[in-house]
Amino acid sequence: MSSRHPSVASGAYAELHCLSNFTFLRGASHPQELIARAAELGYTALALTDECSLSGVVRAHVAAKERGLQLIIGAEFRLACGLRLVVLATDRHGYGRLCRLITVGRRAAAKGGYHLTREDLAATLEHCLLLWLPGAVAQAEEARWLGEVFPGQVWIAVELLRGGADRAWLAGLERLGREQRLPLVASGDVHMHVRSRRRLQDALTAVRLSVPVRQAGWSLHPNGERHLRELERLVRLYPPELLQETVRIARRCTFSLDELRYEYPRELVPPGATPASHLRRLTEAGARRRWPHGVPASERTALEHELALIGELHYEPYFLTVHDLVEFARSRGILCQGRGSAANSRVCYCLGVTAVDPQRGAGLLFERFMSKERNEPPDIDIDFEHERREEVIQYVYAKYGRERAALAATVILYRARSALRDLGKVFGLAPEGCARLAKTMQWWDGSEALDERLRAAGFDPEDPALASLVALARELVAFPGFPRHLSQHVGGLVISAGRLDELVPIENASMPDRTVVQWDKDDLDALGLLKVDVLALGMLSALRKGFALVNDLRGTHHALGTLPAEDPEVYAMISRADTVGVFQIESRAQMAMLPRLKPRCYYDLVIEVAIVRPGPIQGDMVHPYLRRRQAREPVEYPSAEVESVLRRTLGVPIFQEQVMQLAVVAAGFTPGEADQLRRAMGAWKRSGGLGHLRDRLIGGMCARGYSPQFAERIYRQMLGFGDYGFPEAHAASFALLVYDSAWLKHHEPAAFTAALLNSQPMGFYAPAQLVRDARAHGVEVQPVDVCASEWDCTLEHRDAGQPALRLGMRLVKGLSRAGAERLVRARLAGVFSTVEDLGRRTGLERGDLEALAAAGALATLSGNRHLAFWDVAGVERPLPIEGATERDGVDVLSDAPRPGPSARQAARPLLAAPTEGENIVGDYASLGLTLGRHPLALLRDTLKRKGVRAAQEIVTLGHGRAVRTAGIVLMRQRPAAAGGVTFVTLEDETGQVNVIVWERIAEAHRETLVSARLLEVHGRLQREEGVTHLIAGGLIDRTALLGALLTRSRDFH
Amino acid sequence: MRAPRTIDLFAPADLPARSAPRPAVQPVAPRALPPRAIQPSRAPLWLGVHVPELSGPGQPGTSRALLVLAARAQRFTPRVSLAPPDGVLLEVRSSLHLFGGVEGLCAALLGECAELKRTVTLAFAPTPLAALVGTRAQRPFRVLDAAQLTGSLAPVPVTALRWPQETIERLACLGVRTIGQVLRLPRAGFAQRFGTMRLTDLDRLVGRASDPRERFEAPARFRRRRELSYESASHAQLAAALRPLLAELGDFLTARQCGVLALECLFWHRRHAPTRCELRLGEPQADAQRLAQLLDERLRTLALPEPVRACELRAGLPVARRLHSAGLWQPGERGGRAEASGIELIERLRVRLGEEAIETLQLVPDHRPEAAWCRAAPGASAAAASAPPPQDGPDAQGALRTAPRPLWLLPVPRRLPQHGGLPRYRGTLHLEGEPERIETGWWDGRDVARDYYNARDVHGRRLWLYRERERPHRWFLHGVYG
Repeated sequence: MSSRHPSVASGAYAELHCLSNFTFLRGASHPQELIARAAELGYTALALTDECSLSGVVRAHVAAKERGLQLIIGAEFRLACGLRLVVLATDRHGYGRLCRLITVGRRAAAKGGYHLTREDLAATLEHCLLLWLPGAVAQAEEARWLGEVFPGQVWIAVELLRGGADRAWLAGLERLGREQRLPLVASGDVHMHVRSRRRLQDALTAVRLSVPVRQAGWSLHPNGERHLRELERLVRLYPPELLQETVRIARRCTFSLDELRYEYPRELVPPGATPASHLRRLTEAGARRRWPHGVPASERTALEHELALIGELHYEPYFLTVHDLVEFARSRGILCQGRGSAANSRVCYCLGVTAVDPQRGAGLLFERFMSKERNEPPDIDIDFEHERREEVIQYVYAKYGRERAALAATVILYRARSALRDLGKVFGLAPEGCARLAKTMQWWDGSEALDERLRAAGFDPEDPALASLVALARELVAFPGFPRHLSQHVGGLVISAGRLDELVPIENASMPDRTVVQWDKDDLDALGLLKVDVLALGMLSALRKGFALVNDLRGTHHALGTLPAEDPEVYAMISRADTVGVFQIESRAQMAMLPRLKPRCYYDLVIEVAIVRPGPIQGDMVHPYLRRRQAREPVEYPSAEVESVLRRTLGVPIFQEQVMQLAVVAAGFTPGEADQLRRAMGAWKRSGGLGHLRDRLIGGMCARGYSPQFAERIYRQMLGFGDYGFPEAHAASFALLVYDSAWLKHHEPAAFTAALLNSQPMGFYAPAQLVRDARAHGVEVQPVDVCASEWDCTLEHRDAGQPALRLGMRLVKGLSRAGAERLVRARLAGVFSTVEDLGRRTGLERGDLEALAAAGALATLSGNRHLAFWDVAGVERPLPIEGATERDGVDVLSDAPRPGPSARQAARPLLAAPTEGENIVGDYASLGLTLGRHPLALLRDTLKRKGVRAAQEIVTLGHGRAVRTAGIVLMRQRPAAAGGVTFVTLEDETGQVNVIVWERIAEAHRETLVSARLLEVHGRLQREEGVTHLIAGGLIDRTALLGALLTRSRDFH
Repeated sequence: MRAPRTIDLFAPADLPARSAPRPAVQPVAPRALPPRAIQPSRAPLWLGVHVPELSGPGQPGTSRALLVLAARAQRFTPRVSLAPPDGVLLEVRSSLHLFGGVEGLCAALLGECAELKRTVTLAFAPTPLAALVGTRAQRPFRVLDAAQLTGSLAPVPVTALRWPQETIERLACLGVRTIGQVLRLPRAGFAQRFGTMRLTDLDRLVGRASDPRERFEAPARFRRRRELSYESASHAQLAAALRPLLAELGDFLTARQCGVLALECLFWHRRHAPTRCELRLGEPQADAQRLAQLLDERLRTLALPEPVRACELRAGLPVARRLHSAGLWQPGERGGRAEASGIELIERLRVRLGEEAIETLQLVPDHRPEAAWCRAAPGASAAAASAPPPQDGPDAQGALRTAPRPLWLLPVPRRLPQHGGLPRYRGTLHLEGEPERIETGWWDGRDVARDYYNARDVHGRRLWLYRERERPHRWFLHGVYG
């Protein structure tokens, strides 16, 4: 082969066969690492050729652009017949064909696999170059077939990997190439960027085969040659023309992901209209609804400005798409609400995507909803009722077809747990050992030292095998985390005008009827592809149900956003932190904040939603803001520009947008750079500092006359913000739901509680706490009863005041919905007289009947649980066998005929009634709540003897007091931002106690902390601004006492 | 709710009545009778033995330990039954007087158990099931009188009945946790809800229904002794003397469709302690001729301190044997059992040379030459000895692509001196071909990173060398080509 390009230096090389870790469990390096290493080694280009996947290419693309390296897009395949090859896309058309080939292969197999034949290849591929990968024994037939079907597009890949017979192999392939008239090209079968990933690569192979690595045998590579090798080594190994051929191929592959031009779906525009005219028509129609008395002049200007900007960026179809989804939901009576920067535009307000009234928000929210410079698609998330979101997703599939719509992917990364579990198997640990190890590492992020924990769990950290295991786990977990598999995004839908499968490969999700693209949210963002987030929100379901209950009861017409605004009583309730069940502000941290912040208006709620987040907490924004709000600290601004950004939050940056705006006005960032900053903020903690952005930021601020102290403080606040800043745009929409749910809770607590119970699982609290809270607010709660309950919780009219809340059968564990509904239907025909009657008329399965008995729902018919079980067990069973009957005391003496049902009913045993303890335990086991006494009330005497105080007593004690308390563990949280602190909430019959467990104590009592259901805590009280915490000094697992409720009752008779 | 009319239907109505009170004055007997113990009743009395160690879900059926215990129990009464996995029942009514009543019997039995290093609990009851239930209840349970049975059972938890968990849970749902509570349930209602089998259990418990128990019989073991009419040290004579014993053993085993895995011969001498000769077998054997052959081999190597006066043959526990009929072909003939004769050869070699002397080689899939083979016991699955690297899997390395290796590897690679960076071995070496790189094995602490070369020494022999990839790049000789 003569060199037609004398300019190609003899050492130039492009790697054309390279797998990243997106070839799951084969590739052992991140795409970014491969790109960086290839650039460092002076490669001309790098082809990323993951096996039947393009999942890693966007990351590689971004990295390659940064490094100025040519990236070639390709993929490796193994056909069903065994033929292996690499396909490289030369141009946009070839890329589209490659995407389709991958889609065909992936859709033909279950999730994670693919299936392709030679026919698929021949039918699909155009504008691509093929590298044939000869098998262990080179099959001339394969080469011949490829050469015939793809003339001029096929090369024989020569991969010399120091197997000891490289020369013979090369000679053999050269002969084959001459015979088949196919050119040869060098390639490296790269699985890792550097040789030192060899161990990890071996370990991944073992995970893939699910065998211990020592049994993986020949499946492991014999050496570490499959890395990006230095050019001088390659020059020594390969004939020069084979190396030059790589560069020639690279030159023919001119495609770049930058060429992808996304096009919005067109069918939303009626014939004769343009997207712009249609959007304007819809917006104007909406404006007339929103402002029936005419659009205010200021709003009109803003609206025109927005429409102009949308037009300039050609985003009309996006808004039309969102509008279409919202309209669909509305037509089905599904509650929904948009959020995000673009969602809070006036256009969206008019389109009905959101109800954030610009006037209510004091006009502060809409300064930035899209930026021209950033050329980033507008961001709108739409929340739908969580129980009905699937309808919306299937609507999209039906409307656009599966070639044009799919869900975004989520890349599932290795976490400490999964890494240790998988690696445990690799090292041949028994399943029990793996589980124990993984459990030890529950909260490990790959950084802290482990020796102590390992020792505590009974492992020897000095053991070399364990040390390798931990080292490998660290590599898997370390930023950005090794991908493990693809999953579906929670709700990001990608919709395109043309074939989506020529833009990105589509594969099957594990859920039936779902398909996902191979790219995740960040990939789509990076390429500017449109994604609509169709999310599920439990509170929307609850609100719809709550409105329906209230409207039914009172004849009102409440709906989202139509409740009386700014009700001071509602704010008073919120300020008391009386917010169990209220959207967003019901968590413990939020409740601790409410009495300090004392929200008085809608915008305060926006701040409340955003401020109790790890970002503002770690950035130390909370206390300055509170001090200024309480006028204990002057509000001042270093400049007018800064004031314009921070005025609404009293000079303290609280929202993510503010941080970015600060970078623009104070440090002279362009909006594009500010966006880069936002992304960097998300990752700095794992990638280590903001680096050059820090210098730009502080330098820029100093140059604009800000003091270095101010600059440094802003920088630190940004670092603290990290990943966890909350955008004002989202907070604004959430705050609406906060208000609506709080209004319902205050004015209609029974309906509110019923709606929450009917939307479970959702929110922060379990049914027990919701019911408890409702009763504390005077709501009468009636038990589940087959004679009165529906499937859902219902309201029972009372002449005065609040209706009573009747618990629904949905709370009954183990009861089928179909069974409950059958029961309700049968009841329409007349009340049940006995359990026997109920069983006969409903034909319920034994399981359903027992579930009802366990719930105490048969009490009206049977008396107590024991008798209910006896009755249920007697329903619809074959009649007793002769031998047993004749001895029955009822008829053994009298020669009476066999007893009928009523006689059997009569022969009920004298069963001891359940004790109170048994009833409580039974209630909890079946319903998760009890209307009887709190279990701790029964244990109070025992606890008192141990010196344990009740929650109510604790409230009266002073700061710094040493106390003991005990309660049912309602929740344990270990927020990422809290620096290793665990928050535990205990509940007893008098109230709740909030416990703070510092890391040292948590480590010392790990097992107790993680598993105790009844926990005793010794500690000291901490009291601050009306908020009380117990700082734990010791923990004792008292779960056994709960069991004693049963045991003891047994001893009573 | 009406008050139930009938409860407590489990009153022990049909228990055998106590025998009539004995007359106050015994008539004088016409002839002397042996003084008979005065027995209040001939009604059976069951002693339940519970071995907590053998309880638990992981326990197999009847364990060896239980058999041993049952065999020991036969010292107290011939009527012993097994209640696997953890119970033994003894019918002891007629043994009581022999062991000094209940307390004496208990003490004696506990003594036996202590000897066996078993902790047990004991209970007495008029029915076997009640005796078992009583022992499991872990509290003293001594019911000698049937009238007291239901009362004594009342506080015992129902779990002691060992009913299925589901039944126990359903009873718990009724608030029924003790046997007393179960017995108060209405019969028909109970049978309807829990089945007649459970009702029968209760009837047996209280003696309303009979509860026949299979009598335990200790498995027989073969043990024969033969006095010689002469003293002999000749192995041929001894073998001949053993032959009739072996024939008897063969019949014994065939009758039971069993085989043995171990045999022991004892040879008695005039002064010395008997000489023992053990024989272990690869699989259960019952064929007297085979056994004789094997024993013969063994006797050849047996050293006797002085002539033998008597010999004894003891067989291990009989175990079930796979039966097969004799083959049509003679070994070695076409279709003959070559495989079987292979086993025979191995067995014979083992007998001659000792258990550990026989080994086989096996291939191990590993890229490291020294780890690519291992020694194994013969008969170990030959499947693991898979051939060359698999051809499938994207990682496969093909035959065409790998270099040949020598068959003969040095036990430990020999460090070679080097000169100018090149190795020497009895003179200069000529490196040939291209290196094969092997880097693997990090998981077991024997990580290697080597480049293997072929070389020729001054005599023209082909050697296999490697150079460590790590500094200082030492050279080693690892193999020699044939």
